[in-house]
Amino acid sequence: MNHSQQSNEAKHDDDAALSEFLASLMDYTPTIPDELVEHYLGKSGFQCPDVRLIRLVAVATQKFVAEVANDALQQCKARQASIIKDKRDKQQKDKRLILTMEDLSKALHEHGVNVKHQEYFADSPSTGMDPASRDE
Amino acid sequence: MSNGGGESGREHARSNAPRKSGGDDFACSIAKVAVAQICEREGFQTFQLSALETLSDIALRYIHSIGKAANFYANFAGRREGNVFDIIQGLEDLGLVQGFSGASDVDHCLACSGTVREIFQYVGETDDVPFAHAIPQFPVVKDRNLTPSFLQADEEPPEEHIPAWLPVFPEPHTYAQLPAPDEGATETMVKIEQKKHRKGDRSLLNLQQRFVFNTLKRPSSEDPVNADKGKQVGESNPFLAAPLQYGEKEVSHVTFPAKISNEATMEDHVAQNHVMDNRVSVMEMFAPAIDALQGGFVDSEEGQKKVFLNRRPTVQFKIGTGKKSFGNLSPQNEDFEKISPWFGRESEKDEKKMRAEKILKEPMENPQGLAQL
Repeated sequence: MNHSQQSNEAKHDDDAALSEFLASLMDYTPTIPDELVEHYLGKSGFQCPDVRLIRLVAVATQKFVAEVANDALQQCKARQASIIKDKRDKQQKDKRLILTMEDLSKALHEHGVNVKHQEYFADSPSTGMDPASRDE
Repeated sequence: MSNGGGESGREHARSNAPRKSGGDDFACSIAKVAVAQICEREGFQTFQLSALETLSDIALRYIHSIGKAANFYANFAGRREGNVFDIIQGLEDLGLVQGFSGASDVDHCLACSGTVREIFQYVGETDDVPFAHAIPQFPVVKDRNLTPSFLQADEEPPEEHIPAWLPVFPEPHTYAQLPAPDEGATETMVKIEQKKHRKGDRSLLNLQQRFVFNTLKRPSSEDPVNADKGKQVGESNPFLAAPLQYGEKEVSHVTFPAKISNEATMEDHVAQNHVMDNRVSVMEMFAPAIDALQGGFVDSEEGQKKVFLNRRPTVQFKIGTGKKSFGNLSPQNEDFEKISPWFGRESEKDEKKMRAEKILKEPMENPQGLAQL
């Protein structure tokens, strides 16, 4: 009896925490815009007028992307560290952190997404760089 | 999210389908900007374009998968609209690959799910960076500019039988002076067009034929008489035949036995024309009879005669003797007396055949009898 009461209280606490969290989402603006999430949720067949749920999905997606990006960043840093050991003189020049397909596919693999890195895909790794630092 | 095979399959299906609206492109580019913002906050300075595209595509699929799973759980519980717990269930499904705290507990409370706690944590740790641009609500549905009704336009309908809630007529000069298109004229136009097409096909066929003959180095291919021959070859060889046009049906060609065709040429002009052509299709032969059956019968003597003449070929086809059909068709008609003296002599010759024919004719006659009643 006592135990069930405790669990009931715990449940009540959880419910309160969840509703509080959902309410706090109204103040938090996720980077992924609501309209985009709403559009894709509607496409998948999910319909709900509640903005808080859309925010929840947006935040979850943002978290997922951030985690993947963080993993890729770690991969990138690790790779650069191994290269720099060999060529210390190039260290200054090639310090930029670039999100490459190679790192991304490794990071995504940990999250259960299999992305094949195209071996001969001609995408320049220096997209977005200023032309001065492009020549190597 | 699914395994690689499934993804690639979906990719293939999507690349095959033509892109219909620009709405998806718009959404994709928005997702790209958002993902780029997130990556920038994580510490990346530049991107490979392909990597950015891949990541944003996966982010969109992530949203899509959450929606799909949540919708599934909502429907599973018998609800049409999802709630928080459906979404949490969906999140847990997607998070299973990575694992989360409390995942091993089979019937854990959804409210205190590990995924939600992680998200809660994430929200607490990161400060919110709103999307860089203001976005309109999309996809934008354009309001259609409807034609106002008579009521809205404050006009009186031109005729009494037109209710006021119908849209107003266009300006009279747009339709008043135009002559109404003649149906017959258009039909003949269409026929002429079709004939032209057929001629074109035939000449093409001849050309093909000549080409084939030339390659075979036959001297006879040069003379123009060969065109007909070529046509026949084309008919016998399905690969050389001209392709059917849209709406055209493939109909086997029928040739008459010599005897019947002789009879037909003596008695019937229509049939003669058909036989002269020597490649009359079944549809063409039956067309007048079918038309007559469908159109109903005219109750005058001339009309009946015409019907009989038209129907002769059908009788010849089935029975093989054309003469009996005449006397045979009439007994149910009112004009039997007038017609029977002409053909009665012939029909008396062979009573048995006549009776057999009558039985065959019975179903054909029924609509006629009905029409006359």
